[in-house]
Amino acid sequence: MAAMKRRDFVKAAGAAAVLGSLGGVSSLTLAQSKKRVVVVGGGYGGAIAAKYIRMADPTIDVRLIDQNSRFVSCPLSNEVLGGERDIASLTFGYSDLSANHGVRFVNNEILEINPEKNYVLGNGNLKYFYDKLVVSPGISFDFDQVTGYDEAATKVMPHAWKAGPQTLLLRKQLEAMPDGGVFYIVAPPNPFRCPPGPYERAAQVAHYFKNHKPKSKIIILDAKDKFSKQGLFTQGWKMHYGDMIQWVSGAEGGIIDEVDPASMTLIGQVDEFKGDVVNFIPAQKAGKLAHVGGLTDESGWCPVDQKTFESSIHKDIHVIGDASIAGKMPKSGYAANSQGKVCAAAVVAALNGKPAPEPSYVNTCYSIIAPDHGISVAAVYQLKDGTIQGVEGAGGLSPMDASERTRALEVEYALGWFKNIAADMFT
Amino acid sequence: MKKRKTVFPAAVIAGIMLTGLAQAGGVRSPSMLANTCAGCHGTNGASAGDYMPIIGGMEKEYLYTSLSEYKSGERDSTIMGRIAKGYSDQELKAIASYIARQPWVSSPLQADSKLAAMGKAIHEEKCKTCHEEGGRLQEDETPRLAGQWPDYTLVFLEDCRAKGERCEPRKMGKRVMELSDEELKAMAHYYLSEK
Ligand SMILES: Cc1cc2nc3c(=O)[nH]c(=O)nc-3n(C[C@H](O)[C@H](O)[C@H](O)COP(=O)(O)OP(=O)(O)OC[C@H]3O[C@@H](n4cnc5c(N)ncnc54)[C@H](O)[C@@H]3O)c2cc1C
Repeated sequence: MAAMKRRDFVKAAGAAAVLGSLGGVSSLTLAQSKKRVVVVGGGYGGAIAAKYIRMADPTIDVRLIDQNSRFVSCPLSNEVLGGERDIASLTFGYSDLSANHGVRFVNNEILEINPEKNYVLGNGNLKYFYDKLVVSPGISFDFDQVTGYDEAATKVMPHAWKAGPQTLLLRKQLEAMPDGGVFYIVAPPNPFRCPPGPYERAAQVAHYFKNHKPKSKIIILDAKDKFSKQGLFTQGWKMHYGDMIQWVSGAEGGIIDEVDPASMTLIGQVDEFKGDVVNFIPAQKAGKLAHVGGLTDESGWCPVDQKTFESSIHKDIHVIGDASIAGKMPKSGYAANSQGKVCAAAVVAALNGKPAPEPSYVNTCYSIIAPDHGISVAAVYQLKDGTIQGVEGAGGLSPMDASERTRALEVEYALGWFKNIAADMFT
Repeated sequence: MKKRKTVFPAAVIAGIMLTGLAQAGGVRSPSMLANTCAGCHGTNGASAGDYMPIIGGMEKEYLYTSLSEYKSGERDSTIMGRIAKGYSDQELKAIASYIARQPWVSSPLQADSKLAAMGKAIHEEKCKTCHEEGGRLQEDETPRLAGQWPDYTLVFLEDCRAKGERCEPRKMGKRVMELSDEELKAMAHYYLSEK
């Protein structure tokens, strides 16, 4: 491919420069002095960090470690719930990343981080040593906030907030639900992964109900009093699904304190709700590894230097993606992608004894309300006073009065976005 | 395409120099700025499809003009206007030059041969004075069309047709105005076939 040629050329030029400056040093010594980067978590943040480190400096040895040998994307998984796509189309392996970029993929779960001795420990007592560690473990759930919702309850009231078996379980329950049934979505408090996600989910399921179970209802019980792209979602729901979708704010009684999976009951501060199908999306915190590795603060997320994503707690460990505290950026796949690139540049600079480059970040999130109606939010960010802030006058939402053509095009762009971000990660 | 071959090594060196310069101050390097585009346009602008245009390897002038016109609102868009407003003109220039230096990677799609033949006839009659060499040649304001994703080309042509004489350049607007839906599709497939 032509794309490889360019990289090979740069690679060769880089290698020649290194050889030139080191004179007669043997290739063996070179190999031993190779800098090692370990990336844990091969999702939206980690796969990108690994690839872009190799693209910028192919002399660095990069290992990408994930507990799963195949990655299932959350973005577009709401379409699986709506019956518009199957989960295979969201599933990716790591072989192209290895073949095209020399990223060494390791399928293992990391159990411990040792920041003093610079290694991470996996199953089988395997140790992976690093000069720089990048951690992108995503989220874990805070099961302490609601009585009765625990690991066992996820099998009855799935969260489907990590794509895979949970997505398929919820889809099966929706398929089995009789027409006229009530489907509850319990939406989590801030901050959480994918702020527009629960509301896009309501639309996708409504699309399915409209065609197959038109007498059914969808009720969102929200911990919050407002939500992402609220005006656009409310307009789109009404336009396509009449009053099939009802949203209950926290103040109106949407906050759920307790659940009883056995009777499919949600116990709120004001009322009790009994559903035919319940999608319970719990409150969230950084992925478990971030907690085990001592990378979190009292908020449950990971404080970092927002210029480099180096942990404020442990040196030479960088945290990106949902797990990190990243100023004004939302917890999204696009944000994780953008952070992965900023982090990669910082890691490469540090390993080459250079100062961290000035960062640039972007986020774009599409939501598909109906097959011909998409909406989006975008933002461009810069580092200001040490925190990531939106550039004023840029970004924002799709207009409320968008034309039919614009709405239809935004669906095509949502699908095109997914193709391209997946290719950016896995090829 | 002929230009690219001679420009290539110098462009790489220029890239290295620019990156080095940027790291000295608070300036954001071209690669730092341009890598954020890949989330939608593919790594180094080599789009994986379908409605997202391939931008890697396009002429710098064309890219810069497009970004500036997105920023000012002169060029219609769903989202590019919102994004382009986040950068200074100098930064847009840096993004354009970085992306222009990447290799062009054509869409792997197979063109529909019947449509492509129909498109070729229209191209010969109306388009080839500016879009030379089957849309492969690019110069300043004339983008490469050959090998582009047909869904993107089609949307561009539909927008141009809807604007009619307000479509820039005007002589293109005038010609595109006269084409039917099928003919626009044929154009998109013809240029795809010329990769
Ligand atoms: C329904 C839904 C829809 C969404 N839609 C969008 C969208 O349209 N656009 C968008 O931008 N974002 C969307 N998101 C958000 C997006 O999925 C996340 O923000 C993104 O995945 C975050 O990337 P990450 O790298 O932090 O985590 P992830 O992508 O989740 O990757 C984490 C990886 O780490 C691995 N891992 C964790 N712990 C360990 C360990 N101890 N050892 C080894 N491996 C480990 C996991 O297996 C996983 O592969 C959506 C989310 C949901 C739930």
